[in-house]
Amino acid sequence: MSDSSSHPDTTDLDRMHSAARREKADMAPAKAPAPMWIIFLGFIVAVVGGGQLGHLTGGYKFESSNPYAGVLAPDPRPMGDGAAVAMGPFEKAMKGGAGSYAVCGGCHQGNGGGLPGQFPPLAGSDWVKGGTERLVRIVLNGLAGPVTVSGQNFNNVMPGQGAMSDQDLANALTYIRNTWGNEGTMVTKEMVAKVREELGSRMTPWSEAELAEFADKNCPGEIPDGPGATVTAEAPAEAK
Amino acid sequence: MDNASAQPDSDPQADTLRRAAIDRSVKGPVLFLFLNSAFWLLASTVLGVLAAVKSFAPEFLDECPAMTFGRMQPAHLNALIYGWGIQAGLGVMLWLMARRSGQELRGGKALMIIAAVFWNITVTVGVFSILSGGNTSLEWLEMPEFTWPVLLICFLVFAWPMVRMFARAFRPEGFMVSTWYVLGACFWFPWLFITANVCLHCLPGLGALGAGISSWYVQGLLLLFFVPVGVGAAYYFIPKITGQPVASYQLAQLGFWLLAALAGWTGFQRYLGGPLPAWMVSVSSMTGVLLLIPVGVVALNHHLTTLGKHHLVKVSPTLRFIFFGAIFYPVAGVILAVLSNFWSGLGLEFSHAWYGYQVVTIYGFFSMCVFGAIYYIVPRLAGCEWLSVRLIRNHFWFSVYGVGTIVITSLLAGIQQGGNQMDAARWDQSWLPVVLDARPYLVARAVAWALITWSNIWFLIHLMLMVAGLGRRGTTPTLLPAEEHDHPTDSAIPHGANA
Repeated sequence: MSDSSSHPDTTDLDRMHSAARREKADMAPAKAPAPMWIIFLGFIVAVVGGGQLGHLTGGYKFESSNPYAGVLAPDPRPMGDGAAVAMGPFEKAMKGGAGSYAVCGGCHQGNGGGLPGQFPPLAGSDWVKGGTERLVRIVLNGLAGPVTVSGQNFNNVMPGQGAMSDQDLANALTYIRNTWGNEGTMVTKEMVAKVREELGSRMTPWSEAELAEFADKNCPGEIPDGPGATVTAEAPAEAK
Repeated sequence: MDNASAQPDSDPQADTLRRAAIDRSVKGPVLFLFLNSAFWLLASTVLGVLAAVKSFAPEFLDECPAMTFGRMQPAHLNALIYGWGIQAGLGVMLWLMARRSGQELRGGKALMIIAAVFWNITVTVGVFSILSGGNTSLEWLEMPEFTWPVLLICFLVFAWPMVRMFARAFRPEGFMVSTWYVLGACFWFPWLFITANVCLHCLPGLGALGAGISSWYVQGLLLLFFVPVGVGAAYYFIPKITGQPVASYQLAQLGFWLLAALAGWTGFQRYLGGPLPAWMVSVSSMTGVLLLIPVGVVALNHHLTTLGKHHLVKVSPTLRFIFFGAIFYPVAGVILAVLSNFWSGLGLEFSHAWYGYQVVTIYGFFSMCVFGAIYYIVPRLAGCEWLSVRLIRNHFWFSVYGVGTIVITSLLAGIQQGGNQMDAARWDQSWLPVVLDARPYLVARAVAWALITWSNIWFLIHLMLMVAGLGRRGTTPTLLPAEEHDHPTDSAIPHGANA
């Protein structure tokens, strides 16, 4: 509020400038510091806001639109050449077996070569390429004692894998019989189930002698038409 | 007068004359913008009523293609944003920048008027082409493609003198928080507008990313144009009316820089779990929540500045509008945080709640602040005082009740819609019942827009009389009378100091 009455140009400017004159003066902001509690609340908001990141970002990849997975899951659909053709039972078994083989690969190795003197190889092994009944019995109950595989002697214990499902065991067996240059018929879920039923509650591992009679015996059971139905099945490329 | 201007600026009389000269220098462009924007506001509220009616009664006027919801709703929002919001915002920005920089508008007044005329012609053409079916189907960019360079040039004609004023600013008070926000809006709007239009109109094959860019633009316009203009006006007028300085320099800086740093990252959270790279959506969700910090800081600063002067909210029309606008600011911030995060946002996605958020930001917050600014600025430019206390109160109460109704019903409708959509028992059923369930809320929305239309009819008439110079002649401001037995200390305050 200026004291306008003492000013010479009061009369003509009185009305024109009255609005500007009655204004309160502009002031510089006061220096009150930000209170501690709002800084504290700000931290809480920042924590809640940060909660939107982390596993909700899809791993900061341009390819992932799924907010709930930080890691890209492998695409389950068939990809590449022939993707349009639906997967047959053999391809499914091979794909599943490639996953189940992780259980076996710890000893028999990813390339199926085993470890000399400790674990027998699967690649090129007559035990693998021979009759399926012997294979199913081994994976269900295990194998202990001295064995000769591909001309080498081994003396170790393989634990039984009966805890795995029939399907997983069948897949794994189909996989090892048709990988690394091996060629063999498919092992189906029904075959594994039948042998499991015959063995009943047997828990003890087999010995080489006990299994000799099954060396060339194949499990009875139907094999679906397709690449796995005959021994001359084409060996597929190693699963990724 | 020459004698007075020659005196140092510390002389109150010289300062008064200087401020009056600044007001005179921006009179033409600012009044032109205010008047036209008030026309557009009325048009957009009428379209809002019709769009809301169409959304619950589609058979209403269904023989006319222009009256379909798909054309009414974008016409309503484009008129609200480009006709009213940006236009009125430019007027407030120009006056604020001139006043706070202590600079008269030297040249370019004719160019500004021409730009404002072109702005209005372009928006008119744009809204009519939306109504006649020429919709680009890009949210808030529905007007035909050729309009955006024209609008951009018109905006720059206003923005450039403001930037120059800021560069030459002379104020003895130093730090000018309101001009920071105005300057920010001068740069942010062209950035958003160019980026969104170039990406969406000139880059082919964007795919799903186009939807993300579109919602980024919508969020950006809200947070980097409407918010800075509204907050800038509040930072100027609250201290001006209460006579208390902005409470905290530190909070003011924090609020400004955090907004500037965070706001550009939002927008993609509109598509939570959508076909966009997940990290973009998550980062937007995060900033949507983090924006609570600058919003809360600014709200606290305004609260501390008003403290002890709340009786002026009843008396001063300017403070009353700005006070409620400043309350709606944190409300809008909380709604944004609720919509943005993964826990509550998934249920509200694609529901009416987002419309509620847009309306609370544009009308509840931004427009209320701009109304307050207009009630302060126009008497200084037009040389006369507001005619009627009743019209101002009518404007205030119908606006507050209207926008409050729209926001509350939109949020409730959004919660109900989202709940129904997420309800597993309804997954195998038609979506129609979900739509029909929202009808009561849409009826309320139509009624609320009608209330707002009513308030703005009288606002427009009042403003037209003021611009025509038919306001009240006198040296005292038009103040809302304090209620009976109210604050006996009021008489101690000089009457004129409150407006």
